[in-house]
Amino acid sequence: MNRIQGNAMSTAISDTSEVLVECRNVWKIFGARATAAVKAVSERGLSKRQVLQDFDCVVGVSDASLKVHRGEIFCIMGLSGSGKSTLIRLLNRLIEPSLGTITVKGRDIAKLNAAELRDMRARNIGMVFQSVALLPHRTVLENAAFGLEVRGVPKDERNKTAKAALDKVGLSDWTSRLPNELSGGMQQRVGLARALAADPEIILMDEPFSALDPLIRRQLQDEFRQLTKSLGKSAVFITHDLEEAIRIGDRIAIMKDGVIVQVGTAEDIVTRPADDYVAEFVAGISRIHLVKALTVMQPVETFATSHPGIDVSSLMQATPDADIAALIDLTMKSDRDAVAVVEDGRIVGVVTTRDLLCGVAGTPDIHPVAA
Amino acid sequence: MEIETITDAFDTRVDDALSWIGDNGEWLFDAIRAVLEGTFDGILWLLQLAPFYVVAVLMGLLAWRVINTTAGVLTAAGLVACAMMGLWAETMSTLALVATATVLALAVGIPIGIVAGFSQSLDRFLEPLLDLIQTLPPYIYLLPTIALMGYGPATALAATFIVAMPPAIRLTSLGIRMTPSVFIELGQASGMTSWQMFTKIRLPFALPSIMAGVNQSLMMAFGMVVIAGIVGSGGLGETIYGAVRTLDIATSINAAIAIVIVTMVLDRLTQNAARNVKAGVQ
Repeated sequence: MNRIQGNAMSTAISDTSEVLVECRNVWKIFGARATAAVKAVSERGLSKRQVLQDFDCVVGVSDASLKVHRGEIFCIMGLSGSGKSTLIRLLNRLIEPSLGTITVKGRDIAKLNAAELRDMRARNIGMVFQSVALLPHRTVLENAAFGLEVRGVPKDERNKTAKAALDKVGLSDWTSRLPNELSGGMQQRVGLARALAADPEIILMDEPFSALDPLIRRQLQDEFRQLTKSLGKSAVFITHDLEEAIRIGDRIAIMKDGVIVQVGTAEDIVTRPADDYVAEFVAGISRIHLVKALTVMQPVETFATSHPGIDVSSLMQATPDADIAALIDLTMKSDRDAVAVVEDGRIVGVVTTRDLLCGVAGTPDIHPVAA
Repeated sequence: MEIETITDAFDTRVDDALSWIGDNGEWLFDAIRAVLEGTFDGILWLLQLAPFYVVAVLMGLLAWRVINTTAGVLTAAGLVACAMMGLWAETMSTLALVATATVLALAVGIPIGIVAGFSQSLDRFLEPLLDLIQTLPPYIYLLPTIALMGYGPATALAATFIVAMPPAIRLTSLGIRMTPSVFIELGQASGMTSWQMFTKIRLPFALPSIMAGVNQSLMMAFGMVVIAGIVGSGGLGETIYGAVRTLDIATSINAAIAIVIVTMVLDRLTQNAARNVKAGVQ
């Protein structure tokens, strides 16, 4: 019952806002006989393995559907070869889909002509690359102004905008330097500033922080999330690191062999992995900031039967979205071994220390045979 | 049919074709000759405008700016040495020949190289052609040209032009094709037009390779210009050819030294210019 509630809540929040990017049953098949393979897929519903066997074609993305809402950071997590880089390139048509439709702001991007496509890329969708791709013979400022230069914005105006963008990423003192004078982390900030300067609604991040050392990476992850949220941008963020996806993403899609295995919030994925593959990934993730009271609590009646002597209303109270760390804190302050979960002034459940332990370990709650 | 009959027939055809071209294409070759000699005369006039010490000082200053002080001093001293050997006019004439042939080779070779960089099929077509041009002994080009354009600098220039062009085409095409794919992707993702992609991404990244091509063309031209002394090119090549025929060892060595000096000066200048471009890009 709790499970259903959790899912309903997380989708309810995102469904209220406008869908910016949508993929519907998108396939990308690479190979000499791709056209024949696509035909076979659409007519006979061939599987990935059959496509490889019968047509000698590699399936990059297989039947992917997803929605990215306005203001959302959507992470796509997968190992190398999972098709995540192909999928992100389908979103701005750097790669043409073999099958399926992709809409950006409600427009089918396959139907755009060359000029419309250029305009969409220049205005609506920015992109940040893992290799940063700063032009080595241009200064930091000129690099940040690159997108605006392409659009034909006059020099004074684009330099002003680029300077403001560099200011946002904390590099306003470095404008006249060349890229090779900057550290890896700073270079990636310039890459982000370049994308922000063009003021797109959607930013595609292609494993931007993968090549950075862990400390800088964390710092940039936090800065990126904060910046994106404060500017009201939407982002699709590719990563091979689940921890990064959890840190940054509002929702996460897990990809394996070209297939989106699961889409959900960090909590959904950690507490309810769709299959063994996801479960294996999730195993090493610390749950204390992810798992919420709503997931671990037990119904009031159950608590009342097993603890007849305790009055539920006398317990310390927490909200349904308090995480395990917060609940542990409350339990430590309380003289009881349980915390009441309160929603709209009503007690909806109780979290015992036992529930907390189950939440941390990720094991299902097995109620003791004898109390 | 005997194999000799076939080759004989082939040779006759080639001879016939050459005389046909000579008869019917006279206006064309006269025009080419006029362009070549016109450019050559213009450049030579420019080089002979000032006395030798002014040219030596100017070149020295250029070498100082592009390379360093030592190179500047050596350049000026080397050119003064050419004048002291009594070979100033010949040296300038050689320089004018090389400059004319190289400029024309670049003017034709770089655009062809750019197109070949984009078109795989043109590149595949040019590759064996350029291999052929570069493997044949260079004086082969003197024969048909002398038949079509006669004795004189125009023939030397045409043959030099042919020899100097392949490196410009090859290295330009290579430079255009070698654009790092991430930057192509950046250009596309930023909404660039093809022209913007060419001028802002491909060309800047190809520049070091193109500059290497310029240097290579220049060196090929120097090699050819000396050989072209046989067809009356004028300049140091002809001096050497004359000295060889009369066994005048002293003059031939002087002329050879002058050629080495001019070659080294121009090689170092263009090499360093190319390096400066590279430093700007990387």
